[in-house]
Amino acid sequence: MSKVTLNDINVSYDGKTQILKGLNLEIGEGELVSLLGPSGCGKTTTLRVIAGFIIPSSGQLFVDTEEMTKVPVHKRNFGLVFQSYALFPHLSVYENVAFGLKLRKMEKAEMDRKIKEILEVCDLTEYALRFPKQLSGGQRQRVALARALVIEPRLLLLDEPLSNLDAKLRLNMRVEIKRLQKKLGITTVFVTHDQEECFSISDKVAVMNGGVIEQFGTPEEIYSRPKTEFVARFIGFENFIQLRKTQENTYRANDGSLFTAKMDCGKSECLGTIRPDDIQIVTNEEAAGNTVTAKIEVRTYLGKSYQYELSTPIGRLVVNDGSGALYKAGDTIKIQLPAAKIVLV
Amino acid sequence: MRKNKFLTFYACLVFGFLFLPLAIIAVTAFNTAPTISFPISGFTFKWFANVFATKSFLSGFQLSFMLAIVATLIALLVGVPAAYALSRNSVRGKKLLKSFFLSPTIIPGIVVGYSLYQFIVLKLKLPVMQGLLIGHFLVVLPYVIRVVGSALEQFDFSIEEMAWTLGCGKAQAFFKVVLPNISSGIVAAFMLAFINSFNNIPVSMFLSGPGVRTLPTALMNYIEYFYDPTVSAVSVLLMAATIAIMFVVEKTLGIGALTK
Amino acid sequence: MKKQSTILLIAPITILLVVVLILPLLAVLLPTVFEGGAVTLSRYIAFFQDPYYIKIFVRTLRIALVCTLVCMILGIPTAYFISRVSKKWRGILMSVALFPMLTNSVIRAFAWINILGKNGIVNQILSALHLVDQPLSMLYTEFSVLVGTIYLFLPLMIITLVGVMENIDNDMMEAAESLGASRLLSFVKVILPMSIPGIITGAVLVFTGAMTAYTTPQLLGGPKNMLLSTLIYQRAMTLNDWTGASVVALVMIVTTLIVMKGLNAIAGRLDKRGEN
Repeated sequence: MSKVTLNDINVSYDGKTQILKGLNLEIGEGELVSLLGPSGCGKTTTLRVIAGFIIPSSGQLFVDTEEMTKVPVHKRNFGLVFQSYALFPHLSVYENVAFGLKLRKMEKAEMDRKIKEILEVCDLTEYALRFPKQLSGGQRQRVALARALVIEPRLLLLDEPLSNLDAKLRLNMRVEIKRLQKKLGITTVFVTHDQEECFSISDKVAVMNGGVIEQFGTPEEIYSRPKTEFVARFIGFENFIQLRKTQENTYRANDGSLFTAKMDCGKSECLGTIRPDDIQIVTNEEAAGNTVTAKIEVRTYLGKSYQYELSTPIGRLVVNDGSGALYKAGDTIKIQLPAAKIVLV
Repeated sequence: MRKNKFLTFYACLVFGFLFLPLAIIAVTAFNTAPTISFPISGFTFKWFANVFATKSFLSGFQLSFMLAIVATLIALLVGVPAAYALSRNSVRGKKLLKSFFLSPTIIPGIVVGYSLYQFIVLKLKLPVMQGLLIGHFLVVLPYVIRVVGSALEQFDFSIEEMAWTLGCGKAQAFFKVVLPNISSGIVAAFMLAFINSFNNIPVSMFLSGPGVRTLPTALMNYIEYFYDPTVSAVSVLLMAATIAIMFVVEKTLGIGALTK
Repeated sequence: MKKQSTILLIAPITILLVVVLILPLLAVLLPTVFEGGAVTLSRYIAFFQDPYYIKIFVRTLRIALVCTLVCMILGIPTAYFISRVSKKWRGILMSVALFPMLTNSVIRAFAWINILGKNGIVNQILSALHLVDQPLSMLYTEFSVLVGTIYLFLPLMIITLVGVMENIDNDMMEAAESLGASRLLSFVKVILPMSIPGIITGAVLVFTGAMTAYTTPQLLGGPKNMLLSTLIYQRAMTLNDWTGASVVALVMIVTTLIVMKGLNAIAGRLDKRGEN
């Protein structure tokens, strides 16, 4: 098991465009850490720095206490799984998996044992003699994984490994990867743009934007307490309200109405944000604090709930309501923003 | 890409090998000395003047140019319909037919020239000119079949069917819908065919007669008797024309059109 | 489309090819296997018993083979290099490779006359450096034919290979490296095997081209280094030995076809992997 430290990493393209800007990241032993962000945020670049395909213009990469910033790719012994899988089309499944072991000049019988073992673990035994073209997407994915794992890598690096699979297979593979990773206790970096996938699989998540890590923490922390507006928007907070602090836990919106929030933002002006699921539609009788009168603009059926787009004195808000009560466009309703659910960024 | 010094160096050497001989020719074309020497002793245009004073080059150029155009047009005329028929529907023996249409590539040019000379000129006593035209037609036909064929493979035939449903007749749909959409393939085929006909020697070598001699064969003849930079000057003119063609192709179709 | 219209579309080309290609070929080649009304291979047997012809035949094969190998050695790394540079540079390098191919072969051979001749550039440099007293005679040798032929066909090899190699994903190389292979080893173990079908296609084109090229051996070989193609011309035009020329022509066609079919069969078998 290995610990990974990225220390003030800078990467620029053509010496002009900064792709990574002083990136710092610490990954603990045996952890599965996801790099999450929109395309162009630098997550794949970060992975490629760790893998050794990119030498950063400044900064260091440590694995345990060993500096590896400039070690050539083939001497790093990190297992890599590509989005395209990059299986060698001229080699069978068995030979693909054997590729890395052959380079390690391993004894034949030992090699054979290891390959069979990993094929077994990855549920590929019966496909050993097939060629990549003859496999389904999920099988190819498992071969790529087996090929990366069989060399007993110090780190496992996964670059959007599930994005070429259909939705159902994706779910299975996600569980499978997590299971293998925990079983082998291998420190893993997982690059993805899919937040659900990321939250379900990771021990920790680094949300990236514009070449920096905006927030690093457990999935729960990030899901419930995004630290920046970008993170909040990226993980599904759709409602944003400009607030000014008036006293402890009390904030004034632009229209003058007052809201209470459990959280403290530590500044005089901040942005209050809340998920569409957390806003409640209330009747006049129940209405206490944190309520807003809203007019329904658009209603969308989502299956388990209805989504309403509202115009309110504090701006446009989106609410998901699964209570069963049905409103129509043009109706005026009262909504409540629970103080405990308001996150201040 | 992560650079590899050795590979870059190796590729530079290869490109030097490809490029230098032609560069040397270009330099010698402006040399004053009558025998080819290096480094050059002085700068002159007299070899270029000599080119335009040499009758066989002028008439050769004229013949080669006309021949390339006419042979290519004939090849397009019979080649495009055939390529269309082959890609439009599943003709039985499609593969066999296609390889038959491409068969002139299998027969070495020297054999094509030789057999046409014997059959057309000696046996049938037809003029050399007709043999030459036929020979060049055979040289260029495979380019037409291949390049137009691959353009048709990219073509989405549901567009043609759409035209039919809108009231277009078959022929009208072909000219109004199919042809405009494969026009870049046809232009590429034309360019490749033209260049290859213009440059051809083995076929033309046999099929020359009094007053009928293409530019490359005239050049070849000239080299066998004279050794002066006039040939270099012709080369420079032809290379300049090639560069012009490549430039136009790159700006319009992309240089990839000539690598098919 | 109806059957009739298909026939109508392919009829002109078919008739034309039969009349202007097949008929003349048969008219020229068939008489070589008839003698006094009976079918005979005697002329071909005679060809392969004549040491002079055998020498030319073997020389032609040797030059074609060496030329193909050298084109592979020079072309494979260069094509890989071209396939990995940025799109803009790839266009430029492809143009540079394409340019000689679009230049007349007389000019290309003429360039080598200037370089390898008695007063050529190589000799001028060597004597300027006092490395030789007498100019080397490199022109009108098998060596000059070989160099000229390589020069003729290297662009074809490179362009064919780039077409195959640019479709190989960079991930392949990176995957091999991540598994512990150095770049050279990754190239040898992954890129090279994946390019084999393209390499064979290129080899077929170069080999058959070199087997049948006429201009270059004519200009750079001289009468002492005849190849099959120059032999046909000499038999026919200088000696008026029409049957002899036809025999050489058929030998040439058949040899080319055998090599082409053989190599294509190998390519076909190698390419089958994974196709169900």
